[in-house]
Amino acid sequence: MISVTAADRVGIVYSVTGALLDLGGNVLELSQTVMRGYFTIILEAGFSEPRTTREISEAIRERGKRFDLRVEVIKVQNGRSEPPPTQGERFILTVLGDDGPGIVHGIAGSLAAHGVNIIDLHARVDGSRFSLVMEALIPHDLTPASIRSELERYGRAHKLEAFVMHENIFAATTEPSPVRLGAPLGPRSQGESLAH
Amino acid sequence: MRTEDVLATLSMVRQYKLDVRTVTMGVDLAPCASPDATVLCGRIRERLIQYAGRLRAVCREVESRYGIPIVNRRIAVSPIGRVAAGLNTEGLLAVARTLDEVAAEVEVDLVGGFTALVQKGWTDGDRRLIAALPEVLSTTERVCSSVNVGTTAAGINMDAIAALGRILKDTAERTKDHDGFGCAKLVIFGNAPNDNPFMAGAFHGMGETDCVINIGVSGPGVVKAAVENLVANASTKPTLGDIAEEIKSTAFRVTRVGELIGRDVAARLDVAFGIVDLSLAPTPQVGDSVGEILQAMGVARIGAPGSTAALALLNDAVKKGGSFASSSVGGLSGAFVAVSEDAALARAVEAGDLTLAKLEAMTAVCSVGLDMIAVPGDTDAETLSALIADEVAIGVINHKTTAVRVIPVPGKSAGDRAVFGGLFGEMQILPIHAAGGSTDFVRHGGRIPAPLSSLRN
Repeated sequence: MISVTAADRVGIVYSVTGALLDLGGNVLELSQTVMRGYFTIILEAGFSEPRTTREISEAIRERGKRFDLRVEVIKVQNGRSEPPPTQGERFILTVLGDDGPGIVHGIAGSLAAHGVNIIDLHARVDGSRFSLVMEALIPHDLTPASIRSELERYGRAHKLEAFVMHENIFAATTEPSPVRLGAPLGPRSQGESLAH
Repeated sequence: MRTEDVLATLSMVRQYKLDVRTVTMGVDLAPCASPDATVLCGRIRERLIQYAGRLRAVCREVESRYGIPIVNRRIAVSPIGRVAAGLNTEGLLAVARTLDEVAAEVEVDLVGGFTALVQKGWTDGDRRLIAALPEVLSTTERVCSSVNVGTTAAGINMDAIAALGRILKDTAERTKDHDGFGCAKLVIFGNAPNDNPFMAGAFHGMGETDCVINIGVSGPGVVKAAVENLVANASTKPTLGDIAEEIKSTAFRVTRVGELIGRDVAARLDVAFGIVDLSLAPTPQVGDSVGEILQAMGVARIGAPGSTAALALLNDAVKKGGSFASSSVGGLSGAFVAVSEDAALARAVEAGDLTLAKLEAMTAVCSVGLDMIAVPGDTDAETLSALIADEVAIGVINHKTTAVRVIPVPGKSAGDRAVFGGLFGEMQILPIHAAGGSTDFVRHGGRIPAPLSSLRN
């Protein structure tokens, strides 16, 4: 698993993937974003020949010297990180309101206490206005209503509005493909849907 | 999924009150038929509980899963005129009571289908059913009735229409303590759809399966908010084409939510999913009005010239957005101009801007017809019949559904206030101009022949 951060410039993805290619690497999954002018990429790669984490890290840094990249490489055993991901239904959680320290922490704490796994999250502050949209897996033994009331309670206490809605509602209202009922994880990987 | 899309959908749900107006379960009652009223009623009870017994619980589950309110749960049954064709009046009343009781038991607010389809002719059973309507509508709480008196293929049954004028008078009289409210549960149709989920005109028509879930989408508030936002925030004044596009994309979203909810309810009950009805059904709440959409489009006084064109634009744009969203669109699927149920329309009546004649013109471009209109209690039966005939003729000639739900309010005159309460709202009683001027026309009876379907101008 490789993560790279830097001030955003044109050509960083080209540089990082070029370094991996030179080492005989193949990208298995990749997610990249630019936040407030800062570039971040996380990717998983496989290699045809054994490579050390140091070797990979240095190759990326060297090839991207002009970008001043910060690189971290972690070896993943058997191709998968553990523990296995939580199973559940995908919901979109939205929190809106006045900014203040500790909002993300507080919400994440409420969710973690219920075993809700956050799989994609974007939060930002515009002026004093805070907004957070996250995709989370709510375990099958929990009702959405219980998470909804938990978040609403948190929201009321912190002058925030919090909403929990099934991802199918958003899929139905924004995609022209046929309405779907189930949202099994299936072949789709976690974290995919907010990324495109 | 983009954050902007998430927030746009969220604002529809939270601020503009996106909901599902009705989940209506259609149930075929033909297998219940028996010449013995007791047996028939027992079978109806058993069959409705078999299918609808879990409707409330399932709707709750689905509401909870998606966070979208389901405002009403309803049942539509096969036309009782067919199911109970052999019964006498007492038997028909027993069926109506059974429907009312079962509806209360399974916690649906209304049950539709105490219905006769008499567009070409009527059987003895249909006559008995229509004759029983004043008793049924005045003594049951949840039972709704409809009578189809014309189709484009068959023409218009003027004998039935003449009878219905008298039935309206009798029903109003029996419910005079409630401003003739019984009439609000009776819809007289031309070209009635088989799969309409909206009351009071819902019934489970011919050609439908045993049990089906039909959906009525969210009300006008969402569309009104979209139009208001566009007009307020656009950098240049939007054209009517821009407004139509905005309505279309809003209708797309609303329809998709309706279909999602309907399919999930149907899947959990293990019954068929039928259709999404795109109709914008107003409630008396401020902000939930078709009239207010017209105002947002710039028709400040509803009933003024331009009202019909604005309504036509709205109706067409909703259909375009909805039919792109789903291949399962049906029912009435048009904007309702239900006067007492729509605060802005009721205000326009009070201001003298909206007249019966203008409403009739507006129904040529939308659904469902002269809906929830209070008229003077001393209006004679033939004038009511003639009013029905006019409206049904608009539908029959134009290959569309039209309907009449008028309430002659006993003891009250034009300008007085009729109060029906709840979702049925209230309004100032509208005068009928030249009332009594078509008595002989109605008394001819017989059938207005089916219209020519070529030379269409």
